[in-house]
Amino acid sequence: MKYINKTIEELHDLLVAKVVTPLDLVKEAIEELKKEETNAIETLCEKEALEFASTLVEPEVDNLLWGIPYVCKDNFSTKDILTTASSNILHDYIPCFDATVIKKLKEKKAVLLCKTTLDELAMGGTGTTGHKGITYNPYDPTHSYKMGGSSCGSASLIAQGISPLGLGSDTGDSVRKPASYGALVGLKPTWGRISRFGLFPFAPSMDHVAYFTRSVKDSAIVLENIAGEDLYFDATSSTKPVDNYYSKIDGNIKGKKIALIKEINECVKDQPILDGIEKCKKILEDKGAIVEVISYPRNLLAAVYPVYMIISCAEATSNNANLDGIKFGLREGNEKSYQEVMMNARTKGFCELIRRRFVIGSYSLFKDNQEELFIRAQKIRHLIVDKYNEVLSSFDAVLTPCGGIIRNPIDGKDDDASRTEVDKMIIENHMGIGNFGGFPSLSLPIGFDNGFPFGGNLTSKPFDEVTLFNIAYALENELGYKNVTAKGGQN
Amino acid sequence: MNFEAVIGIEIHVEMKTKSKMFSGGRIAFGEEPNSCVRPLDMAFPGTMPLVNKQAVINAIRVSNALHMSIDHELWFDRKNYFYSDLPKGYQITQQARPIGSEGYVEIKLSDGRVKKIEIERLHMEEDTCKQLHMADYTLLDYNRAGTPLVEIVSKPNIRSGEEAMKYVEMIKSIVVFLDVSDGKMEEGSLRCDVNISIRPYGSDKFGTKVEVKNLNSTANVQRAIDFEVKRQTKMLLAGIPIEQETRRFDETKKETVLMRKKTDSVDYKYFTEPNIAPIRLSDKFVEDAIKSSPELASEKYERYIALGLSEDEANQMLQDKASSEYFDKCVKEEPKKAKACWNWLNGDILAYLNKNALSINQLKVTPHNLLSLLDMIEKGTLSFNQARSVFEKMTIDNKDAEKIADELGLKQNSDVDAIRQVVEETINEFPQSVIDFKNGKDRAVGFLVGQVMKKTRGKVNPQITSKLVLEILKSK
Amino acid sequence: MIKYDKALLKKCANNLLFDMSDEQYELLLKEFDVLTKQMEVLGDIEGLDKVTPMTFPFSVVTSYLREDIPEESLSKEDILRNAKDVQDGQIKLPKVVG
Repeated sequence: MKYINKTIEELHDLLVAKVVTPLDLVKEAIEELKKEETNAIETLCEKEALEFASTLVEPEVDNLLWGIPYVCKDNFSTKDILTTASSNILHDYIPCFDATVIKKLKEKKAVLLCKTTLDELAMGGTGTTGHKGITYNPYDPTHSYKMGGSSCGSASLIAQGISPLGLGSDTGDSVRKPASYGALVGLKPTWGRISRFGLFPFAPSMDHVAYFTRSVKDSAIVLENIAGEDLYFDATSSTKPVDNYYSKIDGNIKGKKIALIKEINECVKDQPILDGIEKCKKILEDKGAIVEVISYPRNLLAAVYPVYMIISCAEATSNNANLDGIKFGLREGNEKSYQEVMMNARTKGFCELIRRRFVIGSYSLFKDNQEELFIRAQKIRHLIVDKYNEVLSSFDAVLTPCGGIIRNPIDGKDDDASRTEVDKMIIENHMGIGNFGGFPSLSLPIGFDNGFPFGGNLTSKPFDEVTLFNIAYALENELGYKNVTAKGGQN
Repeated sequence: MNFEAVIGIEIHVEMKTKSKMFSGGRIAFGEEPNSCVRPLDMAFPGTMPLVNKQAVINAIRVSNALHMSIDHELWFDRKNYFYSDLPKGYQITQQARPIGSEGYVEIKLSDGRVKKIEIERLHMEEDTCKQLHMADYTLLDYNRAGTPLVEIVSKPNIRSGEEAMKYVEMIKSIVVFLDVSDGKMEEGSLRCDVNISIRPYGSDKFGTKVEVKNLNSTANVQRAIDFEVKRQTKMLLAGIPIEQETRRFDETKKETVLMRKKTDSVDYKYFTEPNIAPIRLSDKFVEDAIKSSPELASEKYERYIALGLSEDEANQMLQDKASSEYFDKCVKEEPKKAKACWNWLNGDILAYLNKNALSINQLKVTPHNLLSLLDMIEKGTLSFNQARSVFEKMTIDNKDAEKIADELGLKQNSDVDAIRQVVEETINEFPQSVIDFKNGKDRAVGFLVGQVMKKTRGKVNPQITSKLVLEILKSK
Repeated sequence: MIKYDKALLKKCANNLLFDMSDEQYELLLKEFDVLTKQMEVLGDIEGLDKVTPMTFPFSVVTSYLREDIPEESLSKEDILRNAKDVQDGQIKLPKVVG
């Protein structure tokens, strides 16, 4: 291992100085990926990556992504590269077009190393439901605790230091949660900031392109390069100009107002997490920010999970209705009717959890149930967002823990009597508010406990990613958890 | 007991935009299967819908022609159901907020009455892919998938087969003249589903409604309804309850036949399409769409009457949009020749097109050149029969009418002085005719005109010639 | 109060063109119990009747419409390469009736 475990910034300097070539980086990373033991890879793009990297000869000084290897969750459409969404129904689907982010990264000469595992169709938060089985957390050699999901594969590989950038998607907290379990910076920017064209939809009104890096500045570099209007492909992409996030990071947060939410912190089970939040508070105050503990209605926090379930399942059942075995994906043959074609594909193609969720979603949309389920959920979503906007009208950002426990067991038996169902529901799902309101939201490592990382989450007003980066950068500097990896520890 | 029919009609109109409703896929009819397909049309994962501007403009124009209020904010919904021809597993439509609502059209019935048919809504949506059914399998062609449609839903205030037919004809004329659609029922670019129920006169309750599909002409709309009203009346009189069902019109038997009984209605689980942000249409956008709207048949009609066509002639001219457009180009240049143009279009031109199985768009003769031909007739330079020969040549390559007349040596001389000279010469050659004329033999005039024609090989204007012969004879 | 039972859920699943094992329906019933109860409780949240259902995270009204310009078609290979049964350049299905 020579160049692995480095950030985009560090690699860029080495590439520009011609100390290393993109081909060297790719070769090294491919070696590592072949040895990888967390079950994080769907498809290794060895041939494509080597070919592309060998065309990259003359470094582009002003292009920070030139020659940077990256990995990508397997729910982004990649031209001529198998894309399965970790679902059996798409086990052999080969797309004929690139997602906009893939296209942009290609134009920037970043090199795709592999497609990574996810919870099937991104519909889960455990990293355990993909068709290839569980993706493990590299911080846990015992394979007992979750990587978290749904962007589990990208999270694991970035945590292992194999690549400095992993693309993911975030509908509830699918990047920010695994970021917390992997000591990573996970960013879900404002809804519409990054084009979703080519991202397999789960719940479009809450879906975001999101990604992992190991430093705040790397996160800013990436956003600058993949954000932006894409009206000819994604009509919901924002036309607001893209900021110079990277150059605007100065760590100056003097006078910034940051809120902590009492009702969320109260649901935390593991004391080190609270200590970590307290430490952040001190740092922020030392740097001249104003931190206040505020109150947010507990009943609205408790509503996040059921509302998320109803809306996401409802949208998902419709988005995945195109998976019918006719045009692409699983089809057995010898069927006697088109219904049988679909029935076979969908029964055998989706895991049981997915099918249950589709029933829930579909049921919520029935004419007779819509008012009480889907519409009610959409109304509560509105209330939750309105209330959050109220908070953000007097604060620049909200700081919360990413979850309530540090080690989240794969078998799901994470509970003891001290943690009520509602507490657990609140603390493990509150980051979904970021999706409800499309707020930019970033997770970063704020502490370790016996070798296991845990994260904090910052959320700000729509399109105010700059504030988010600056606060995160201030914390990163003082906490010292920049560019930590599972194997190498803290670099 | 006397019954009245309660009829509502849903019309789907396939728009002839250049690209599809939500993708850049080319709109093409009758092309090789799967040759006009974009990723969205196949519902490949990750594709997203993008609303076609022209489709919106079209929908605004039709809504305006139907006197509807136009929603200045566009919202779309998903209609969720599974079928082999539905690639996405849902259709994007406008359930909650149709672009057009609450309008009407007026139709003129054969007894002279004018009836207002109320229209509930007009919305935009997309077509499914085309299924080709073979003996024991089905093939899927995605060219049609995503073709923009407008659906126009009438209120159930149509009362007879004739009203229904006139209504569909009116809608068809509107979409055709607005350039929104070919409006060809026989080819499926205008499809109509009719809901019919009957009830005792005076009742304000609705009977059980039967849906009739597969109506491929306006005449069949009327036939199907007339048949269905009779069938339902007979059943009710016999005490047999009417069942909710879908029937289709069998063209050979001229009757409706059962397709399927309606079991519990399908729940389409509508919800707002989350991939299309609401689109705000500025007042200017809507106004411009209306202002630049092509002229409706009814507007053309008024104009034609003002140009001096009779009601029948005006109606005749509006039967075919392409002919009316040709006519419009002619009268734009020379409004005074309206009648003459009409005569030619419905006479020689029509005969020529029919004989050669051509449409007017394939006619090589330009309106301008036709007008110069008409000009020569008017000035007497060509006789009507001569003009016909010239026209025949014009159809080959639109060669200038005057040039053809010259080449054929057909041009009549209408120069009075020149003709007078020939006439005087001829009279001097036949002094006996002068005597005959004086003796009251009128035949002499005809004889002399014939001699002049012979002499000039028919190139002088006969009317002028005969006038001059008479004049000179009298003066002798 | 919303009514449901195993038969209804099965019908619902079949409408979505898949089936599940008996065990799964039992599990699903339990999940329904929890979720519908939660939603019922949420019906009492103050101010709920005053808000509109939210589809988009924030006001995203646009004026963008795509110009009506046709794009080049996908190649037939791209259209059909993922379909399992193809004939005469078209996707083949068992005969569709009704």
